[in-house]
Amino acid sequence: MGSFAAFREGIRRVNGAPLVVIGMFAVTLAVALPLSYILRSEIEAHLGSSLNAESAATGTNYDWWQEFSGQASGLASTFIPSITGFGAVLENLSNLLDNVKETRAIVAVTFFWLLLWSFLSGGVIDRFARARRTRSHGFFGACGMHVWRLLRLGLAALAVYAFLFGYVHFWIFTVGYPGWTQDLTIERSAFAVRLACYLGFGALLVLCSLVFDYARVRIVVEDRRSALGGLVAGARFAWRHRGGALGLYAVNAVAFLGLAAAYAAIAPGAPRSGWSTWPVLALGEAYILLRHYLKLAFYASETAFFQGALAHAAYTAAPPIVWPDSPAAESIGNVDPSRMV
Amino acid sequence: MAPVSRRSVALATLWIVAGAAAPSAQLSPRNASYAMTARLEPQGRTITGDEILTWRNISHAPASALRFHLYYNAWRNTASTWMRERRLAGDATLPSRPQADWGWIDITSIRLIGAGGSPVDLTSRARFIAPDDGNADDRTVMEVPLDGAVAPGGTANIQIAWSSRVPRTFARTGAIGNFYFIGQWFPKIGVLEDTGWNCHQFHAATEFFSDFGTYDVRLTVPRGWIVGATGVERDRRDEADGTTTHHYVQDDVHDFVWTTSPDYLERHATFEHPSLPRVDMRLLLQPEHASQAERHFAATRAALKYYGEWFGPYPYGHITIVDPAWQSDARGMEYPTLFTAGSRWLAPGNVTTPEGVTIHEAGHQFWYGIVATNEFEHAWMDEGFNTFSTARVIEQTYTPNYYSKRYFGDFVPWVFRDFPLTRETDGDRLGPYRPLAKTDAQSTATWQYFPGTAAGITYDKTALWLNTLERMLGWDTVQRIMSTYFSRWAFKHPKPEDFFSIANEVSGRDLTWFFDQVYRSSNVFDYGVASFASEAAAQRGYVGEGNDRRFTEPGKTGSFHTTVVARRYGEGIFPVDIRVVFENNEETRWRWDGQERWKAFQIDKPVRAAFAQVDPDRVLLLDVNYTNNSAALEPQSPAAARKWSLVWLVWLQDHLLTYGFFV
Repeated sequence: MGSFAAFREGIRRVNGAPLVVIGMFAVTLAVALPLSYILRSEIEAHLGSSLNAESAATGTNYDWWQEFSGQASGLASTFIPSITGFGAVLENLSNLLDNVKETRAIVAVTFFWLLLWSFLSGGVIDRFARARRTRSHGFFGACGMHVWRLLRLGLAALAVYAFLFGYVHFWIFTVGYPGWTQDLTIERSAFAVRLACYLGFGALLVLCSLVFDYARVRIVVEDRRSALGGLVAGARFAWRHRGGALGLYAVNAVAFLGLAAAYAAIAPGAPRSGWSTWPVLALGEAYILLRHYLKLAFYASETAFFQGALAHAAYTAAPPIVWPDSPAAESIGNVDPSRMV
Repeated sequence: MAPVSRRSVALATLWIVAGAAAPSAQLSPRNASYAMTARLEPQGRTITGDEILTWRNISHAPASALRFHLYYNAWRNTASTWMRERRLAGDATLPSRPQADWGWIDITSIRLIGAGGSPVDLTSRARFIAPDDGNADDRTVMEVPLDGAVAPGGTANIQIAWSSRVPRTFARTGAIGNFYFIGQWFPKIGVLEDTGWNCHQFHAATEFFSDFGTYDVRLTVPRGWIVGATGVERDRRDEADGTTTHHYVQDDVHDFVWTTSPDYLERHATFEHPSLPRVDMRLLLQPEHASQAERHFAATRAALKYYGEWFGPYPYGHITIVDPAWQSDARGMEYPTLFTAGSRWLAPGNVTTPEGVTIHEAGHQFWYGIVATNEFEHAWMDEGFNTFSTARVIEQTYTPNYYSKRYFGDFVPWVFRDFPLTRETDGDRLGPYRPLAKTDAQSTATWQYFPGTAAGITYDKTALWLNTLERMLGWDTVQRIMSTYFSRWAFKHPKPEDFFSIANEVSGRDLTWFFDQVYRSSNVFDYGVASFASEAAAQRGYVGEGNDRRFTEPGKTGSFHTTVVARRYGEGIFPVDIRVVFENNEETRWRWDGQERWKAFQIDKPVRAAFAQVDPDRVLLLDVNYTNNSAALEPQSPAAARKWSLVWLVWLQDHLLTYGFFV
């Protein structure tokens, strides 16, 4: 199966599982909402009964925002003007690539979300591998069945990414980049060097993520119990099918960039007041929903690509999950009918 | 030490006999004039120079010794006062700079040239002194005792030869690659006041101070390199050794700076105005900013126009704008008739880069160049006045302009058009001032400000109190104060009291209380509404007299009793208005002198109040917490908090998905 075919197949499988998309979107929303509520309380407390609230409610009040930022700490310190509109996307991508330290609250919630997503990814990949409904008991059964092996894989990923961001990023961007550019007098040249650094570091990230992606897929599809075995198998698959795997990665990356570009073009920035607030917020959530869609399409297309390389393309090792009856039902079933009155 | 050549002595004599300068309408005392030659050797990054200083004692005190600034020695090693102060301010990177980055200046000869032309060698008498902090390792001030004192009105002619290594820029002056920006580069005499020498060591947070004079300078650089300098180029001569000597002259300035690079693009334009003198503008531009030439010229025109109309004309007829090289650390620096701007390769419209810095540095021609305040001690008098003026010009010329942020290593800009910047929020820098408001009284000598905080007190606080003054007295009055101050103190060295007395005189009010607050103290201003209520007026208790006295229960009176309690949370005292707006849009105002810690204001009206404000017109821009200045009975904070927390929610979701890359 070629890269484009796998991508199309991935899209088809995601389209066939709208509840998965909505469910994963809901999970992210549910993780983020409590923090949003905490921030809401802090903003409300700072504004109090001030008239500044009126201009903040009907538009933007940069003056008040500066005042708020001046006294903010922790979670509230992430509430900055550049989170509005497409700025949010740039802020997050740039901070990730530049390895900007986040506040503890954000690190904690991100870690929790990653754990949750790791748990759910077993069910998601299983669902896409089967390309048919598995119902909730099947979905969560797969989640439960794969969770520990995927978490062990996650630990390996954590070690690798920690090394990349803790050491390699430091060597490239803190030691290398300033040294390579220290005598440059042309900003464009310095930017080109920076871009090359991003490409080099990004290539390492992509290669690692490619291996971990296929390890995840093989663990689920082939019901591998060893995370390490899955990792080796994932690396072997990625290497043997490097052209197609990289091509598929590129297609997915282009899809993400296309979505980001579209959002950049239409992102309305800060909402005004009244009913006009809601379309702006809805557009933001629509963008988030589409990001989920593309993220899941990434999973689905990589799963399809892997299955396409097998002798039997629809192969999935694990049988459908059959949950045991509840203890009550079991005890009823065990009752000797002759003793029933 | 290298001897001074006969040719130099002959040149010196000629310079002295000729009266130190070609005649032109004299604007300043011209008591510190220099004839200099300097030769740049790019291979070793060295300058060898020779100067003849004609110095006239315009103080009432005799001078038994002369003091000179040797600024380049700030970067000789980590023991200099400049380096120590930078470290104290938290800059840990500078001491680890590579060996090739450091610079210095060595005096090779000092001679006093007598009336008959016979030189007296003073070289061996020169010694380094540290009048500010006693740092024996600091070599930024040199004292040279004289055999006989220079009496008030007397003149001394001194010839100095020196060599220096140009540093990789530590602060504003230096070199990177083929780009040289050479400021504070020659032995420069201090300012003699009636109380003695005002010749400070080089400090990390302050700039410079010197007397006016004529500069006649010959600069020798590799042939083909473009030179920009204070003044205008009189002539140019190609030397046999492949170099070119550029001859620049300027009267009535108190410093001389120059720059050279083979990479500059040169552009020219003019400033013309019906009531202001024409100014020829010369722009030395980095090739990657070629498309931004007109933006530099337009910003410079705006500064010359508004500063000229508001304060007084720019008298020199020419100005050089230098766009410094990337990473040269030379951006945003003012020198007489030449300044550095500073731009970026990606410079979106409606964001004031390069306009903001260009207007600010062009504006320094007025506040620093012409009104030559002491930047060591009263940096707020030029930086603060200029920040205030810059913000005003930007408001006139570049509205709207927006908040922007750069991403991906500080390269890629994104403009947030929902956040228009205003004179108050951006230009006068209220945000950066807030956390630094208490650090020092402005009357503290600038070089003694708490490390790393000088900008908040020097730039921001001054701009804010000048704008407060404008809101209090009106722009017409403030403009008259500033133009009177400008005309009276042009080409002189005013002190803070000189400005304050002009402000009192022109405004016709005694503003001492104001300057006591903003200049002589570090008091913070914060007024607010402590409580606000408007309820149906009800009376309970005994009414009537004698037998008619009877107890009444509450009942509707048809009116509302409104109470506002205003509080002074900060130490600063300022008279403020209290305003209550009622539901029928009627309003009531009270004037409060702001002296007490709190005051209650009450009124009965047949209508309920809607909101109350302290300082509703925001006269007191220095108020560090304006959010608490108002209270509404039906606050919109829940709606605002809901809206912004949902905007933030999208950011957080996107953040999670960005990190979703890892799973």
